[in-house]
Amino acid sequence: MADSANAPKPSSSVKLVLLGEAAVGKSSLVLRFVNNDFQENKEPTIGAAFLTQKCNLPTRTIKFEIWDTAGQERFASLAPMYYRNAQAALVVYDLTKPTSLVKAKHWVAELQRQASPGIVIALVGNKLDLTNDGAGSGAAESGDDSGDARKITTEEAKTYAEEEGLLFFETSAKTGYNVTEVFTAIANAIPETSLKSARGPGASHAAGRTEEQRVNLNGPRDPNAKEGCAC
Amino acid sequence: MAVESLSDTLWDVVICGTGLSQSLLALSLSRSGKNILHIDPNEYYGGAEAAFSLQEAEKWAASVSTPEAQAPSLFKSASITKPENVEDLSFPRAYSLALAPQLIYARSELLSQLVSSRAYRQVDFLAVGSFFIVKSPSAPSEPRTLVRIPSTREDVFSTSAISVKAKRGLMKFLKFVVDFDNPENSEKWKPHAQNPLFEFLQDQFKMDTELQTYIITLTLSLDGRIETKEGLAIIHRHLSSMGVYGPGFAAIYPKWGGISEIAQVSCRAGAVGGAVYMLGTGIKGTSAADDGMELELTSGDKVKTRMLVRGYEDGTRDAGISRLVAVIGSPLKFLFEAVVEGAPIPGVAIVAFPAGSLTTAAGNASASPVYVFAHSSDTGECPTGQSVLYLTAPATPDSKELLDKALEFFLSSVGETPVPQSLYHVYYEQYAGMTPPASGTDDLAISFPAPSFSLSFDDTTLDPVRGVWKRVMGETAIETDYMAFPDREGAADDDIYD
Repeated sequence: MADSANAPKPSSSVKLVLLGEAAVGKSSLVLRFVNNDFQENKEPTIGAAFLTQKCNLPTRTIKFEIWDTAGQERFASLAPMYYRNAQAALVVYDLTKPTSLVKAKHWVAELQRQASPGIVIALVGNKLDLTNDGAGSGAAESGDDSGDARKITTEEAKTYAEEEGLLFFETSAKTGYNVTEVFTAIANAIPETSLKSARGPGASHAAGRTEEQRVNLNGPRDPNAKEGCAC
Repeated sequence: MAVESLSDTLWDVVICGTGLSQSLLALSLSRSGKNILHIDPNEYYGGAEAAFSLQEAEKWAASVSTPEAQAPSLFKSASITKPENVEDLSFPRAYSLALAPQLIYARSELLSQLVSSRAYRQVDFLAVGSFFIVKSPSAPSEPRTLVRIPSTREDVFSTSAISVKAKRGLMKFLKFVVDFDNPENSEKWKPHAQNPLFEFLQDQFKMDTELQTYIITLTLSLDGRIETKEGLAIIHRHLSSMGVYGPGFAAIYPKWGGISEIAQVSCRAGAVGGAVYMLGTGIKGTSAADDGMELELTSGDKVKTRMLVRGYEDGTRDAGISRLVAVIGSPLKFLFEAVVEGAPIPGVAIVAFPAGSLTTAAGNASASPVYVFAHSSDTGECPTGQSVLYLTAPATPDSKELLDKALEFFLSSVGETPVPQSLYHVYYEQYAGMTPPASGTDDLAISFPAPSFSLSFDDTTLDPVRGVWKRVMGETAIETDYMAFPDREGAADDDIYD
């Protein structure tokens, strides 16, 4: 993601929230996307839960602000402000674990109920490396004769995603398969009109409903400034 | 650090309750490297400062509907009224009604801390616009009118609402307040420091009742009898906050429910700093343990901690305020106009019924002002095309009736035909919190005081939080490190990895 175009393309921030049952690989997907890295036996996420990564499209640059759940999903105590104004959500399940798809459906329903109406939701079945489709890695751990730990068929999840109007991918954070594709697809699916320009005061008439009224706390604190926000 | 199980960890601090004080503490301690478990017996964030969807409001109101609140609630007598024609009401989640809306002056220490801790990036702030009073008509047949209070010198200069003589008096006063602490001016007010401000205005500045009302309204004094010393300090804060974050406004309001949003953002930052969150979980019992204390949680878990911090929710039974929250089926647009060029459109306007301007059916005049905070849909507290009104008065046997009256009169004074309708009411009373018992330096359990009634954010509520942070950090506490944290990776505007 380091190609620096000569002419600056319009750049927009997109808030993306990550949801899914514990241990399905949410943080690993982000780690693969952001750092192109993978950690075996990664500990549950506590802390460092806010990451950013740019995604270069032909006509614009999307800067994802990725909100991981910081382990809070274990206690089902996400603050409403976590979903609020999110323009995209990544709902992850583990395709070797049926309960995780149930949980994913629960999160999709919650997003449809609570999040902004135009939110782009991507359903992602992770751990493809543990299946026969997984480009030959990792499947050996499975006790299954076929060496295939898959418990959720592509068709089942895909049908559900189509019914609900979700983007759908099967990925492997371990091998990196399809990971960048997920984020690129989300970036492409965000309607141009819902993009707020890169954070910055004043830069906002094209932005969402009330953006232009925002008061910028990072401006000069000058009580004598009659012309205000020199943003 | 992986938290495999709650009970295997020795927590540095367990914090109970997610009101603003506790949430700021969680943010400051977790990001200063302490191991924090943050719980709340409620299923929602924000405690007595929460913001509710209609569904949540109904659930909450049912739990505090009795005239005598069961300890330890700070609330009582909550009731919800939905007039017949509620088809204009949107879906419950389209609302975020604040239990304790407070405006925040630009000079508030809270804003400095939100900036230095970088938590402000997750909050959207709106400008607080004009202050109005509802003027009683000279003849009973005439309608009540709204008069905008001129609150800066430019404003006074350009207003046509008051006489030239009154302008001169007001100018003189504003000039005095800007330097009220210099020796010459101090001499003038110090002898009257404890007297009511309105008397001082009358005696020293020859202000008539109407001008006095303007000034008292700017102080947001709940009983209208604020003392001279305190009142002057508040007007000074108003004037010195003007223009700090942009032209034409002195205070700001966090979108989506005010203080509740800041509490949530702090919890979120606390989680990012490593704090673990559990809602719907309170404390059943405490006992001494080797390294501190052992807590039995209502979830059945037992956890060990070096310290416990919670809110002190024992309300005194003799002082309180009445609040009425009303969703209005009109945007009330004229309240939210920027009056200075280049100013942002305000999301909040303040309206006051001066003391004595309302009368009950039994003929009792209102002894205190009634304040109406009007919030536009820009606050995210209601859908577009509607607005939310928050009315406040000291609790008395008459206060419910007075608030209902104030709402009715306000809606008929705004000059819209047909008169805007109220779509949804929440009424409740809130007790003043008692001062928690002072904790000794050996105490392992510390209590924060209950939230103040103040209609503007009171900086003194930040002091106990800093105090606990210092105590937990112990010898490693460096005062300038308090709430000073770098941005999380990549969050800065200028991305250094570009």
